[in-house]
Formats: sequence, C-alpha cells, structure tokens
Amino acid sequence: MEGAAIKNKLKVYRAMHDLTQEHLAEKIGVSRQTVIAIESDKYLPSLGLAFKIARYFKVNIEDIFSYEEDTDED
Amino acid sequence: MDRKKFILFRVGVIVFIITSVTVAVTRNSALLSIVSLLTGLFFWIFVQSKAKNRIDERVTTVQEKAAQMTYLIFTPTIGIGSIVLLLFARDEYYYLESLGMVLAYLTLFLIVLYAISYHFLDRKYGGSGD
Repeated sequence: MEGAAIKNKLKVYRAMHDLTQEHLAEKIGVSRQTVIAIESDKYLPSLGLAFKIARYFKVNIEDIFSYEEDTDED
Repeated sequence: MDRKKFILFRVGVIVFIITSVTVAVTRNSALLSIVSLLTGLFFWIFVQSKAKNRIDERVTTVQEKAAQMTYLIFTPTIGIGSIVLLLFARDEYYYLESLGMVLAYLTLFLIVLYAISYHFLDRKYGGSGD
C-alpha cells in the first residue's frame, strides 16, 4: 500500500455534532489522546473502531474515512 | 496487552527496581543503585504517569511497537557485545570472557524466544492455513 493514505473527517463530524474530544472518546470507548491522534492522522484506527465511530455518527464508514492512493507517477 | 496485564507489567518493573536497589545497597554497589533509581524515574516519567489514561487500542499499539523496538535494539546490541567480548578478552580480563559467554547465551535465548513467539502468533493469526 505504498503511497496510499487513509484520511478522515472525524473533526468535521465531531464539530457537526457539537462534541468535545473527551465526550466523543467516552462514547466510543477510547481515550481523548486517541481521538486527537486519529484527527491529526497520527493513528489509524482499527476496522472495529472505525465502524464504531461511523455507527455513532449514523453514517457510512466511507463518509468519515477515505482511502487516497498516491497519484504521483514516475 | 490489556489493562490487567499492563498493570502486572508495571508492578513487575517496580518490584524489580526495588529489588535491584536493595541488592545494590547490600552489595555496596552505588552505581547499580543509582542506575536502578534513575531507571525507575525514567519509567515513571515516560510510562507510569501516562498509564492513568484509558488503555485502548492506541495504547496497545504503542506497547507492542515499544516492545518490538526494544527487542530490535537490545538483541543485536548484546549479540555484538558478546562477540566483541569473546574475541578480544585477554587472559587477565577473564571476567570479560565470562560476561561475553553470558551475553552470547542470552542472545541465543532471545532468538529462540522470538522464533517460538513468531510460530505461535503466526498460527494464531491464520498462518500455515494451506
């Protein structure tokens, strides 16, 4: 999966629902540091956690997490 | 590593450090006692103080990667150290040769332990299924 990255819009959805990082962390069963790390793309959540997040916001997982391939070619 | 195992690990580290300091004091080894205390302080600052947070999958990932990095640094270091000591220890420094032997056996034990762990984890995660 070289050159590919998984991006997320967790911060956007959190803002849309007017949630603090602490509140969201409590709801999905992780620490606030984990929410921060996911939002800043420093940590890639597991599939289970990604589904939990999507289910909490009542959206599809692809609405929050997107797979972007590196389009730079030699 | 779940929360219970992580707590056990921390208790194990603390007990070892206390034991190490006690042995160092009884053996009049100031260096060992100082290094043990500094190690305990280092562990407290970088691990213990952060462990009040919830143990979630990110923390588990950090623990796994820290253990992996520790192994990748430690095993080659003592392996190379053992070879150096065994090759260059002179007769008057016989204790260095003994230390080299101990480090060599320790390195071999770590390699075997890694191989066994890899085998079991590979089977656990669906390897050798064909």
